[in-house]
Amino acid sequence: MKIPRLDTRRIDGLITFGLALATVIWLLAVEGRQGFGRDEGQYFRAGERYWGWFEELGSNVANGEFKRSFTAPVIDRYWTDNAPDHPVIMKTLYGMSWRAFHRCHCTGATRGLHPIPVKGRHITLPLFARESTAFRFPAILFAALLVAMVYRFARGWLSRPPAAAAAVLTLAQPHYFFHAPISCFDAPITTMAFAVGFAYWKSLRSRRWGIAAGVLFGVSLGVKHNAWLMPIFLVGHYLWMRRGDLRARRFPRPPLAFVAMLVLGPIIFFAHWPWLWNSPVTRTRMYINRHLQHEHYNFEYLGFNWNNPPTTTGRKLIRSTAPLVGTALTVPVTTLALAAVGIAALVRRRRGQPVAPEGPEEGPANAGDQKPSWLQPGADVDRAPGAFLLVQTLGPLAVLSVPSTPIFGGVKHFMTAMPYLAVLAGIGASRLIPVLAGLLPAARARLRQFAPAAFAVLVCLPAVVETRRSHPDGLSHYNLLAGGFAGGASLGMNRQFWGYAVVPMLDVINRDEPANRAMYWHDVIHDAVNMYKRDGRLALEVGDTGFGEDALRRSQTGILFYEKHWAIYESWFWDSYGTTKPFMVREREGVPLVTMYRRGAP
Amino acid sequence: METPPRLTTRAGLAALAAVSLLALVETASAIVAPYRAPTDQDWRAAAAQVRAGFRPGDLIVAAPAWADPILRVYLGDLIPAEVAGRMDDERFERVWEISQRGATSEAAAGGTVAEKSRFGALTVRRVQRPAAAVRYDFVARWTDAHASRRGAGGASVDCPRVSDRLQCPDVAYNTVRRQLVEVDTRLRMALLAPPVTQGTVVIEYPHVPLGRSLVVATGLHNVWLRKEASGPVDLRVVIDGVFDGTFTTRNDDGWALHRIDTTARAGQVAAVRFEIMSPAPHARQFALAAEARF
Repeated sequence: MKIPRLDTRRIDGLITFGLALATVIWLLAVEGRQGFGRDEGQYFRAGERYWGWFEELGSNVANGEFKRSFTAPVIDRYWTDNAPDHPVIMKTLYGMSWRAFHRCHCTGATRGLHPIPVKGRHITLPLFARESTAFRFPAILFAALLVAMVYRFARGWLSRPPAAAAAVLTLAQPHYFFHAPISCFDAPITTMAFAVGFAYWKSLRSRRWGIAAGVLFGVSLGVKHNAWLMPIFLVGHYLWMRRGDLRARRFPRPPLAFVAMLVLGPIIFFAHWPWLWNSPVTRTRMYINRHLQHEHYNFEYLGFNWNNPPTTTGRKLIRSTAPLVGTALTVPVTTLALAAVGIAALVRRRRGQPVAPEGPEEGPANAGDQKPSWLQPGADVDRAPGAFLLVQTLGPLAVLSVPSTPIFGGVKHFMTAMPYLAVLAGIGASRLIPVLAGLLPAARARLRQFAPAAFAVLVCLPAVVETRRSHPDGLSHYNLLAGGFAGGASLGMNRQFWGYAVVPMLDVINRDEPANRAMYWHDVIHDAVNMYKRDGRLALEVGDTGFGEDALRRSQTGILFYEKHWAIYESWFWDSYGTTKPFMVREREGVPLVTMYRRGAP
Repeated sequence: METPPRLTTRAGLAALAAVSLLALVETASAIVAPYRAPTDQDWRAAAAQVRAGFRPGDLIVAAPAWADPILRVYLGDLIPAEVAGRMDDERFERVWEISQRGATSEAAAGGTVAEKSRFGALTVRRVQRPAAAVRYDFVARWTDAHASRRGAGGASVDCPRVSDRLQCPDVAYNTVRRQLVEVDTRLRMALLAPPVTQGTVVIEYPHVPLGRSLVVATGLHNVWLRKEASGPVDLRVVIDGVFDGTFTTRNDDGWALHRIDTTARAGQVAAVRFEIMSPAPHARQFALAAEARF
């Protein structure tokens, strides 16, 4: 049988697909071990409620009352959930995915746990055993899309092994991996930031991509408010790329990508969010103010509990290091080292040279016979890839370095930088591969042929192993420099947030005696408790006494998540339960994550 | 086509060697590290060792301190809230330290190691250290105290004992009570005595046997209230009518220890008065603990 010879394009297509598929498989294989965070519980609820609007829309269309769904009361009944906090693209996708792919036990004992009435058994394509997996599936697809895009983007400069390494190193970061499969927005906005950057990059020499950049930016605005920052970084790069115009005292022509972002961005943002439709100005203002005046939630960093903007110079200095130190202590160290090599290579690169030894030339000659214009403003200049990667990587970190910005999300607040950091690592790998090949004897052609792939595997190995080690407690994990879970705890780095780390304790709770089922869940919100029950992981009889001191005092069993600022809750346990002795502690590598107390336990 | 500058041979080789070695070390570390953590069996064995030699009044600590909740799973019955929320470590002569990863506890500093054994990833040390003799514990003896509130004009009202606290009239939060407080995200057993608007909260212990020093610890309770407000709180300490010092406590001060030298009056019984006031008392949950020590 003759094996068909694949052309370059097809091979890359297959690798792209393979990387994306592997991402989906890896994330689906392990997401069930990761519990539901506070925010995710809310987004499950909101997503299902948003689906309710579509369900009602279907009924209204069938009844010839199409317009009814667009009246203010009907819109608000569904879409005020989680407004004005976040726009709704991802939540809507989560709700739709749940509706399409869950295995319906909805008319059984869990019927009352849904945020919208269950009118009957749902007909679905039951891909997933757990309802939560069906909610999470779109986030997983977004992660796969990111990995695929990183490969394609890096392939513009690099050969396949380092480009594939960049893609793998994007996913194989413990903190990113934690966020990748969950029904939140931080991983999806990371995908969108890369998509917008990719489209912008292509738009510098292709008019089609200018429009695409605008559309993608609009979608990003509908994913998370980080999107507001994207144009700032891109303008920074654009001005640098066209610095010749500035030197010639000419204002650089505004490119199509920016015009499209300016025009299409707000249109798509407004169109996607029904909650805005009936009161656009007031509600847009509410949304913007919600984030401009966002509270500083408690967050541990270098042993301090940060919950307000720092006021002293010393504290401001410490605070300003958070994103850089956070990156240095969470990203696998080999990835950081490769990125450093990549940065060195880009610093040494001269205008017009390829980014990697075997890559295409970057200068205007490579733009073909295109004429420079606002439609393809990078046709007559070197596109400054180093500056592009610099602003995309350092930009998000720089914003979070400002002491007055809240840091309660840790790495997720600047996670949009991470795929670009992985691309830098890929560039670093591409620079070391020829050195390795040079060490191999010329006579060993086969060995030389496989050296690039072998090196790519070698540099991905620690990241993959470390990421696997971190799961499902990625937020508690710190890298080799920090000393892992224990090192992070000793350095006073944040151990967790969102109250997700409870999954391994559910069996203990399920086995508990009925008398102990007045349960104080601390930071596990009621929506998350409901989802554990809907998933069949938590006994329906287990109660939820609520939040705060009174709820704790009403409980028979209670848990406490370790976060620095929750210490006061432990005093209530000691006082109310009459003991300092926990019934059990959930830990990772000896580091406590969740403490459980049981009233009257010996 | 112009080619990018190649890494110079020496730099390139060094970078290649460094990255390759790092990749191997990091992979190995990620595989090995989980096995370095103490196991349940280690903890059980270490706890058994401590129990066998434990005497009332001993202090048991974990090093690093973040392992404390696990320590309490095994030995929590020997660590009452008063000890877990101790003012400081000075009163403890015998300290049991269960440590891992080479860490040591401050509570065991300055002592001599009387016993040391290893249980897997854990090390148990019994440290003998010079301890401060406590003549009077103001928190434990809170029922000895008289509380009152002095207005801006100097008029004073008594705060009688009501159940578990001293309650001043008219202002619900104007109480003095012994309770666990959270200061700087650590728990302490203390007297909680919030300051009041344009007034002074006065706590007086009429018969305190003095030693060589009076150690006073102050702090602001409740992380949410420290977030909400920033007013300072002043504590004035008066011994037998003689003013001995004012200590100001702010949000960032944590649990601050202040030492008053009472050597000249050691062995005497005196009245000790604490006066608490604040120019901005909103959301100020002032906590104090004190001991008269030899």
